[in-house]
Amino acid sequence: MTSSVPSGGPDAASARAAAVSLGPQSRTRGWLSHPSSRRLAFGYMLLAPAALYVLLLVGVPFLFSLYLAVSDANVGEPLSRFIGLENFRAAWEMDTFWIALRNSVVFLVVAAIFKSVLGTSLAFLLLQNFKGKKLVRGLVVIPFTLPIAISVLSWKWMYDSQFSVINWSLSRLGLIGSYGSASWPIWLGQPHLALLACIGVNVWRSFPFTAIVLLAGFTSVPTEILDAARVDGCSFFQRFRHVVTPMIFPILIIGFLFDTVFTLSDLSVVYLLTAGGPGNATQILPVLAYQIGIQAGSLGRGAAIALTLVPLLFPALFLVLRNLKRRDW
Amino acid sequence: MKAVAVPRTYRQKEIRRHLWLYAGMAPFLFIAVFPIYWMAITALKQEPDLYRINNIPFWFNMPPTLKNFDILFHQTNYGSWIVNTMTISAWVAVITLLTAVPAGYALARLRLPGAENIGIAIFLTYLVPGIILFLPLSRVVSLLGLQDSWWALVVVYPTFTIPFCTWLMMGFFKTVPMEMEEAARVDGCGQFGALIRIVLPVSLPGVLTSVIFAFTLSMQDFLYGLAFVSPGDQKPVPVGVPTELIRGDVFFWGSIMAAVLLVGLPVALLYNSFLDRFIQGITGGVGK
Amino acid sequence: MSHSHPIPTEHASVSRRGFLKVAGGGVAGSSLLTMLAARQAPAQIKGTTLRILTWSHYIPAYDVWFDKWSAQWGEKNGVKVKVDHIPHLELPARMAAEFAAGAGHDIILNNATILVRLYYKSLLDMTDVYEDLGKRHGGWIPAAKSPIEVEGRMYAIPMYYILLPMLWRKDLFEAAGLKPPDTWDLARVAGRTLKAKGNPTGIALAHCNDANLVWRSVAFSFGATEADPSGDNPTLDSKEMREALRFGKALFDEGMTPEVFSWDDASDNRFLASGIAGWIHDAISAYRTTESTNPTVFKNTYVGMEPAGPGGKRVNCVAPIVFLSWKFTKNPQGAKEYLTALVDADKDGMVASTGYNMPFLNDMAKKPMPVIGSDPKLQVLQDFPKIVGFFGYPGPYTPQIQEVANLFVFPDIFTRVARGESVDASLNWGVGEYRRIFAKHKRA
Repeated sequence: MTSSVPSGGPDAASARAAAVSLGPQSRTRGWLSHPSSRRLAFGYMLLAPAALYVLLLVGVPFLFSLYLAVSDANVGEPLSRFIGLENFRAAWEMDTFWIALRNSVVFLVVAAIFKSVLGTSLAFLLLQNFKGKKLVRGLVVIPFTLPIAISVLSWKWMYDSQFSVINWSLSRLGLIGSYGSASWPIWLGQPHLALLACIGVNVWRSFPFTAIVLLAGFTSVPTEILDAARVDGCSFFQRFRHVVTPMIFPILIIGFLFDTVFTLSDLSVVYLLTAGGPGNATQILPVLAYQIGIQAGSLGRGAAIALTLVPLLFPALFLVLRNLKRRDW
Repeated sequence: MKAVAVPRTYRQKEIRRHLWLYAGMAPFLFIAVFPIYWMAITALKQEPDLYRINNIPFWFNMPPTLKNFDILFHQTNYGSWIVNTMTISAWVAVITLLTAVPAGYALARLRLPGAENIGIAIFLTYLVPGIILFLPLSRVVSLLGLQDSWWALVVVYPTFTIPFCTWLMMGFFKTVPMEMEEAARVDGCGQFGALIRIVLPVSLPGVLTSVIFAFTLSMQDFLYGLAFVSPGDQKPVPVGVPTELIRGDVFFWGSIMAAVLLVGLPVALLYNSFLDRFIQGITGGVGK
Repeated sequence: MSHSHPIPTEHASVSRRGFLKVAGGGVAGSSLLTMLAARQAPAQIKGTTLRILTWSHYIPAYDVWFDKWSAQWGEKNGVKVKVDHIPHLELPARMAAEFAAGAGHDIILNNATILVRLYYKSLLDMTDVYEDLGKRHGGWIPAAKSPIEVEGRMYAIPMYYILLPMLWRKDLFEAAGLKPPDTWDLARVAGRTLKAKGNPTGIALAHCNDANLVWRSVAFSFGATEADPSGDNPTLDSKEMREALRFGKALFDEGMTPEVFSWDDASDNRFLASGIAGWIHDAISAYRTTESTNPTVFKNTYVGMEPAGPGGKRVNCVAPIVFLSWKFTKNPQGAKEYLTALVDADKDGMVASTGYNMPFLNDMAKKPMPVIGSDPKLQVLQDFPKIVGFFGYPGPYTPQIQEVANLFVFPDIFTRVARGESVDASLNWGVGEYRRIFAKHKRA
């Protein structure tokens, strides 16, 4: 697939030309508006492997986790009594729970802002033509490719109270004092700073992901449409806002949705850097659920805490679905 | 279009454009690469070099050494772990591709009754926390006789790559103009033909994205690897490294850094070549 | 996802239905070969397999010894033995997975998280092995029962524990005219004096295992207790605990820097290795690794007894390491044989661990102990077995205490005080957390 036309092949080109020339008004639905059994069979056949795989291997365990959340199960006795919302009540009684909830939301929002800004800017820059762009592109995605469980370890050292390279550099630049002085930041020791430090690692790892999703989206915009827009006299930004964005919106929004899920349910960064400390300043729901549910063995309560994430995701899910529906062409 | 500009002015323009671009890229490069550089230097440092407060972290204060790599390859099972990780990720990418691409198409285009609900159900599976999910999955793995083999991970990882890639492909397929497919059908391709010859090529960036995301996501997991695979030579890298290079409160930093980089770099190269595919096609596209 | 933890402990709880009579072969010889030769394994276990799950010991050489010993035992007895290692912090997750699967290893280590009481109904009863070993090795130390006993039966075999002694810089102390830190008060004075000279001390005030262990040592040495001997009631609210908290605050203010809020288990190791620490309270791994990372520090660091509290009491909070076995194991006899032989070979294990592993059996703790008995700096460690205690001291290792430990409630109380909250407010918060957690487990 090394053709220089983004949508490969002469077939596609003629189809595109046809599409453009047909104009936006003539939306012949053709065979799709007639429910034919052939189409349905074809469709379900395509869908089946994924649906079966997921619904069996995950759907059933999902029901299991719902069951756990309303039972008094512990790791040694997973089949236990039904206790209704008792686990949730126990969780709500813990002030650590509310701290974790708050931190999870703050984490998500702050990280999302940084990731969108950085990711978008990076995507634009990656599109440009300049010398050394191959090298740059390769380097810039590395954070995303490193396995999180071990790349976070290097951040542990970079945030170290004594040996932090960040502090060392800032100190040599004269921006902060030397080790031991009051202006030497203890990244993982000061409550708000610790949370920011964890968010920073999440952003560092994930903004290449955002950029790549965007980039892949950009590249799927047919060039004819863009050319047409340019011919019509649109500036770069106008083109972007009025032509490109609407077209790639489904991709953008799905990327955003999944990134939200990944961020909210991510355990590794906080667990490895601070285990929720100092004094619960960086405690988040997944870490709390793991500590209670698995390490302390109270499966029921752990499941209840972990499932609290679900309602948090409903707004994002709702937004996505509504948008995708609206865009159904 | 204006007449051809005078070469000197054009070159100046190019240089200026390049400078702006470099200035723009610099912060990103810095954020992304600075830790990587530090990790690379640390991997080559002698241990005492790390523990002096006044030592320069960015360069060697004592002569560099390959000892950490030596420990990594000769005293741990790193060789096996890398092979395992790459193999597992490749298999998972293939499985994901074969299931998610058709499913995404079906959900995006074929107006199946109940498709939306199925799509939502597939998404909802993401909400199940892995920390709970691994328990019933452990039973499944055991029933399949795959406990303590890395094949268990090949079976289990698609549970989190398929939903994401299905939705991603759905998104990509939705951006393909209906008219294109229509035109193809008018031209005489069957349903399947339209999919293969028109839609897929157009959505190639999406497909490639799915593949490399599936690959990367498989490399990220720690919990399932820990829960399902315990023999030293069956582990993937994220599980093996904490097992053998972190002992109690003794961290073998140099080797850990070496381990991280060696597993990430080939994947980064893979990304690089894929990104090229995406971008090289844009002549006069968004970027102009 | 593993933190460095100086003390991995694993509880192996085994509940068995049948009787496993451990053949009482003579274990007179102290060398491995003699012992192996002396014991004749019953024919029943020939041809079976045995899978063992353990952690990655601080000392790689110990793991090498362990794997080799296990293979040799297997050969000698016709058993196919396989040893797997995983990070010790994640053993609970793995145990949960195996239990859910109903299949897994035959023998599992518990370290830093003792889950005996959670799983005991599904563990092999090891009482017979426990009693046999006790009889043949001069009895178990008093603390040995606590992690493994449930309703009078033993569901695991205690293997060893790892101490956290005082590690102090003799050169710095002498230069400042300070006495060795034999009491917490002296340690505090040293902290104050040396901090002024640029050598502060540090005890983690964060969510890590060191924080869990060391602050308990402080508090228990001051006479505080965590739960009553039945384990049912928290006893944190006491005069002694308040005194310990006040002491902790003073120690922090005078002798430490705020960086301790960010510490993990390896931070105090780094602190010592950088040459800055005046003293720390940590496993000897911190001291040992300076041999390669900072030889000057290595030369000048000395190992000290657990400092005494104001009442003269000394308690060193350690985390035990025990082996347990599932009821669903296909090789219960092999498991028991193996564990018996492993404990019998413990002296070799102690040597292989270069003095880290401290024994639960009195005979093994007789002086001179291997390695630490002959190293002048480490000899003081031989006096520790009398003063060890665990989480929940003096009560047993219950699930509620385990949860308290997993959530780092105990160090959080000290953290609050260090950050400026009043002793009463912090303690009230802590006691509230304890009560809530204990109540939850009673409900269940």
